[in-house]
Amino acid sequence: MFENYRFNTSVIRFFVYLVLIILLAVTIIPIWILIVNATRSTTEIQQGLSIFPSTHLFENYRILLGKGLNLPRGFSNSLFLAVSSTVVTVYFSMLTAYGIVAYEFKGKKLFSNFIVLLVMIPMQLSIIGFYQYMSKLGLTDNYAALILPLIANAGAVFFGKQYLESMIMQDLIDAARIDGASELGIFHLVMMPLAVPGAATMGIFAFVASWNNFFNAFILISSIEKYTLPMLVQTLRGDVYRTEFGAIYLGLAATIVPIIVIYALFSRYIVSGIAIGALKE
Amino acid sequence: MSLSKFKRNYYGYLFIAPFVIGFLIFGLYPVYNTLALSFTDTTLMTKNANFVGLKNFERLFADNVFINAVKNTWIIWILNFIPQVGIAMLLSIWFTNTRLKIKGVGVWRALFFLPNLLVPASVAALFFAFFSFYGPVNQFMVRYGLLPEAMHYLQSVPVTRGLVVFIQWWMWFGQTVIIVMAGMTSIPVTLYEAAMVDGATSSQMFRRITLPLLKPILIYVFVTSLVGGMQMFDIPFLLTDGRGSPNASIQTNNILMYMKFASSKGHIGAASSVGVLIFIMTSLCALGIFYFLRDRDNDAPKRSWFSKKSTER
Repeated sequence: MFENYRFNTSVIRFFVYLVLIILLAVTIIPIWILIVNATRSTTEIQQGLSIFPSTHLFENYRILLGKGLNLPRGFSNSLFLAVSSTVVTVYFSMLTAYGIVAYEFKGKKLFSNFIVLLVMIPMQLSIIGFYQYMSKLGLTDNYAALILPLIANAGAVFFGKQYLESMIMQDLIDAARIDGASELGIFHLVMMPLAVPGAATMGIFAFVASWNNFFNAFILISSIEKYTLPMLVQTLRGDVYRTEFGAIYLGLAATIVPIIVIYALFSRYIVSGIAIGALKE
Repeated sequence: MSLSKFKRNYYGYLFIAPFVIGFLIFGLYPVYNTLALSFTDTTLMTKNANFVGLKNFERLFADNVFINAVKNTWIIWILNFIPQVGIAMLLSIWFTNTRLKIKGVGVWRALFFLPNLLVPASVAALFFAFFSFYGPVNQFMVRYGLLPEAMHYLQSVPVTRGLVVFIQWWMWFGQTVIIVMAGMTSIPVTLYEAAMVDGATSSQMFRRITLPLLKPILIYVFVTSLVGGMQMFDIPFLLTDGRGSPNASIQTNNILMYMKFASSKGHIGAASSVGVLIFIMTSLCALGIFYFLRDRDNDAPKRSWFSKKSTER
C-alpha cells in the first residue's frame, strides 16, 4: 500500500510539472518571439518563426527612425513621467500613511475606510470631467495633469498604511521626540529611512503604472512631441509601418524590455507587494 | 501632558492635509464635474451648454450600441475570469501541497506574473502583429497544414473576442495565483492537522476548511477583477481598429465612452453619461457580491488572522 501511495504521488507530480511547463511556454513564448523578432530583418520574419536572435537590430532601428518615429524622445518622455510620478506618489502617500498610523485624531477611522472606498472608484467616473476641467485650467497637453493627481493616490496610501502598521516604530518616534526632533523631521529622518523596503515596493508599482498608462495620457496629451511610448505604439499600427515587421517588433520590444529588466532586478519586492492589499483588509 | 498629546495629534491632520487637498482638487471635483456634464449637451466645440436632464441616458438606451458594449464587456470579463480563478486555485493547491513538494514555487510564480507588468498597449499591438494576415500565426498554421489557407483572424468575431479573452487571461492569471496562494498559506496548518486526526479526506478539507477561509480573498479577487474588467480599454482598443471591430464585437464600455469623447463634435456630455452608467452598474454588482457572499453563519471561524495582531501604542 505504501508503494502504491508513492507511485501515485510521483504520477501526480509528473502531471503537475507538465501543466506548469505548458503554462510557462504559453506565458513566455509570445514575449520571447517579440524580442527575437526585434533583431530579425523583415525578410527573415516573413520566412518563418525562429527562436534564435539574428543580427538586424540596428537596421531595424534605422528603419524605425527613418519612418519618423522618434523612439528616443518617446523613451525619455515616458521615463520623465514615470520618475516624477514615482517620486510624487511615494512621498505624498507615505506622508499620508504616516499621518494615519502615527497619530490618533478624530475621524481617523473614517478617513482610512474612505481611502479603501476610493481605491474602488473607477477612472470612468472622473476622466471626462477631469479632461474638461484641465482644459479650462489650460493643463491639457501638459504632464502636470498626469502627475499632480498622484498627490492623492488612494491605492498607494492604502499600501503604505498596511506597511507602516507592520513596523513597530512608536518607541523610535518617542525617542526622537525626546531628542527634540520636529514631527516632520521625524517623518523625514527616522521613518523614511526605515521604510525604504516598503517605499521601494510602492515606487516600483507607481513606476510601472505610469510607464504602462495609455488611456489617461491618450486623452490628455495631444502634441506628438509629448507622446509617451504606449502612445507611439499606437502610431506603429499605422500604414507607414505596414510591411516593416522588424521595425514594428523593435518598437514594441523597446517599450517592454525596460520593464522586464526592472522585474528581473526587483521581482521579490513586486511579488511580495501584490498580496498586501488582499490579505489585510 | 494632555495638552501636548492634543498638539501632537493635531499633526495627524497636517500630515493628511496634502492628500485631502489633492483629492478635493483632482479627485472629487472631476467626479462632480463628470456627473454634472452627464446631464448636459456639452461638446468640446461649442461654448454654451444646456441642461438636458436625463436625455443623454435615454439616448443610450434608444439604440443597441450601449447595450452591445455592456454585453461585450461582460462576456469578455466573465470568460477570462473563470479560467483565471480556476487555474489560480489549482496552482495554489499544487504549490502549497506538502505531499507534492513542487520545486521552485517562487520562480514559477514570478514567471507566470511577468505578462501583468508589460505595457498593455504593446501587448495588444504584439498580438495584432502575430495574428495579422502575413503574421507568424498564419505562417505556422499553413506550413504545418493546420489550416488549408491563411485566414483573416481579426475579421472573425469569435476569434477576435477569444483573443481578447486570452490576452486578458494571460496578463492576469499570474497575479491571481499570487493572491490566492497568499490566502491559502495564511490558513493555520493546525486546522488541517486537526482535520487529519479526525480522518477527513483531502476533498473534505478543501470544502470545509480551505474554501470557507479563503472566501474573503476570493471576494477581493472577484471585486477588483470586476472593477478592472469593466474598465477594459487598451487591449480591445489597440487589437483592431479602435472601434471594436469586427462587427463591434470587442467594443467595450470604455471604447464607447472614448468614441463619444473623440467623435467629430467631442460630445463630452454623452461620454460622461456612459461613464456614470458604468459606474452605477459596477458598484451595484460589487455590492451584490459583498451581500451574497457575506458570512451568514456567526459560528463560522472568524478571519481573525487577517486583521492586525495588535494596535497597542
